[in-house]
Amino acid sequence: MNKKPLAALGLALAAILATTGCGSGGSPAASSNEKVTIKYSNFTSNGGNEKNLATIVQAFEKANPNITVQVTTLPYKDYATALQTDLAAGTQADTFDIEYANLRSYVSNGAVAPLEGVDGSKYKQSLLQSYQSDGKQYALPSSFSDVVLYYNKALFDAAKVAYPTSSWTWADETAAAKKITDSAAGVFGDFQNVSFYEFYKALAQTGGKFLNDDGKSVGFNSPQGIKAAEWLAGKSGTTMPTPAQGAGTPDFDTKLFKDGKLGMLHSGIWVASSFADSPKNWDIAVEPGDTQKASAEFSNAIAVAANSKNKAAAQKWAEYMTSSDVMAQTRISAGWELPATSDDSFLKPYLAKDKPANRKAIFDALDHVALTPVIGDNQQKMVDIITNALGEIEAKRSTAADALKGASDQINALLK
Amino acid sequence: MRKHPRLIALNVLVVAGAAVMVFPFLWAFVTSISPGAGLSATPQLIPENPSLSAYAELLQRLPFVQIVLNSLILAILTTVFQLATSSLAAYVFSRMPFKGRNAVFAVYLATMMVPLQVLVVPLFVEMKSLGLIDTYLGVLLPGVASAFGVFLLRQAMNSVPTDLDQAATLDGAGHFRIFGLIILPLVRPALATLTVFAFLNSWNSFLWPLIILRTPAMKTLPVALAALQGQYTTQWDIVMAGSVVSVLPMLALYIFTQKYIIQGVAGTGLK
Repeated sequence: MNKKPLAALGLALAAILATTGCGSGGSPAASSNEKVTIKYSNFTSNGGNEKNLATIVQAFEKANPNITVQVTTLPYKDYATALQTDLAAGTQADTFDIEYANLRSYVSNGAVAPLEGVDGSKYKQSLLQSYQSDGKQYALPSSFSDVVLYYNKALFDAAKVAYPTSSWTWADETAAAKKITDSAAGVFGDFQNVSFYEFYKALAQTGGKFLNDDGKSVGFNSPQGIKAAEWLAGKSGTTMPTPAQGAGTPDFDTKLFKDGKLGMLHSGIWVASSFADSPKNWDIAVEPGDTQKASAEFSNAIAVAANSKNKAAAQKWAEYMTSSDVMAQTRISAGWELPATSDDSFLKPYLAKDKPANRKAIFDALDHVALTPVIGDNQQKMVDIITNALGEIEAKRSTAADALKGASDQINALLK
Repeated sequence: MRKHPRLIALNVLVVAGAAVMVFPFLWAFVTSISPGAGLSATPQLIPENPSLSAYAELLQRLPFVQIVLNSLILAILTTVFQLATSSLAAYVFSRMPFKGRNAVFAVYLATMMVPLQVLVVPLFVEMKSLGLIDTYLGVLLPGVASAFGVFLLRQAMNSVPTDLDQAATLDGAGHFRIFGLIILPLVRPALATLTVFAFLNSWNSFLWPLIILRTPAMKTLPVALAALQGQYTTQWDIVMAGSVVSVLPMLALYIFTQKYIIQGVAGTGLK
């Protein structure tokens, strides 16, 4: 009979322990000579950079003999599934990779710990700030990449058009694309995916807003939105291949560029390494804007798990993996994305490399960034709604105004 | 002789169907021997400068022998367990009447309708409390019994006349002897079919091993192959080389059990 109060007390205690994070070293590690092992789950090294990550881990363990880092590497497209399962079971690693687009949902689910005492001066400010929420730093940016305009010099020369510069606008791009396009020879002037990721950027380039300031409704159902949608969808079938010609299939655009049949390509810096010597003569420029400049930037970051038993050691590793010299050098020499560090001296060898010659554009693009609109758990639904609406406009099944209104209603419903 | 034109037409149709089926494999193979290949819209069936470099790269990037062994051992164990559990359960459902038998069988079948994605989290939490995360046992356990296997073998056993059981009972045979000496040999085609299905499912299973295994050296083939894809770009030639290698054991198994499979599937009314 009197077991019940006891059980209740036990439950209450358990609840208190759970909420205060006591009993498992929620406080920094007791003494610095205690040996700890922390787990690091990542997707950024997957697909060829596992060895480079191991190099950084070894250097960290040498500098911190009491901390061992256990690495798990998962493929990018399955990483979220595995992480969510882990979060549900409470088996997540002490530190794990996150993308900017997922930060908000992890923060609201209480999965990531706020980080204190980080030396913020070591990071590129725009990248560091994108991982802040309510004035707290929830993750540290580990790497970034952005989108630039690739162009084939030979095709520009043949069409007698001047090369793109950083002051180019949409109008310049359209004029050049029209001159370069030669359907008889299978040469196209331009390629830009008709998708969510290009749309929010084009919208920013023409001065529009994707989400309204309160974040509770969308603002793309506007004259700017229509202009951006028509700019993207209007390329298709004029200066750009249509989906029927293969646009949108994997590697289609990069292959076209490699084959020397594409004048301009909007793509991320991650494809640069595959262009080495084909086409023969190519370079990059900051993407043209309309009323203003805006470039897409993608970054990855490392967070510390809220339930980590060794938060201090975990944060130490997270800081090392995002801001140490060893990390920056390893990344630059391997061409493994770009470190998000503020110290540009590491970039010298990178900037000095040829192909593309104008590597400065990669950093100039960071001056005006259009960040991915983020809405939390329905992110993927929103991406699909926009991409589908653009597809309707591209196929001329719907006007830009109608399709955007429909998409705006659907996404507003998700935000309620 | 009058059937001749129809026979030709039928053969043309079958060959066309076969070509459609074989094409993806051919494409995968061609991609694997074309260095730097992409998955462009129009595949070239004659690679420009064929090379086996992707296969060499594959062996370098992954502890390939270890991974194939992992997959093979898990597939063999899963298959053996499924054959044992399914045939025993099927015998009960086919030969031992008890109250509510059909209801129990219906519940068995209902479990086939629940997709793995729904079960993953509770199953994972269960494995955590059993301390089986990152163990081979953790990968193996959810697959030791199969509702599909029970269904397939029960159908096959139902088509074996009960007169045979009765004759054996008169000779003093118990359930185990009837099961082992009479029923099992007669449902061999269905057993072969289940062997292939069970092996194939284990060989191809991706989601569960991905989530439960952590140690790189313990990973299975599909999980390891996924590790070749980057966040932004993928070297398709290496991925396809891995895919080609991973198809070979299945191909061997299928050729080996082909004649039974057709009998097994045709005999259950399953398409």
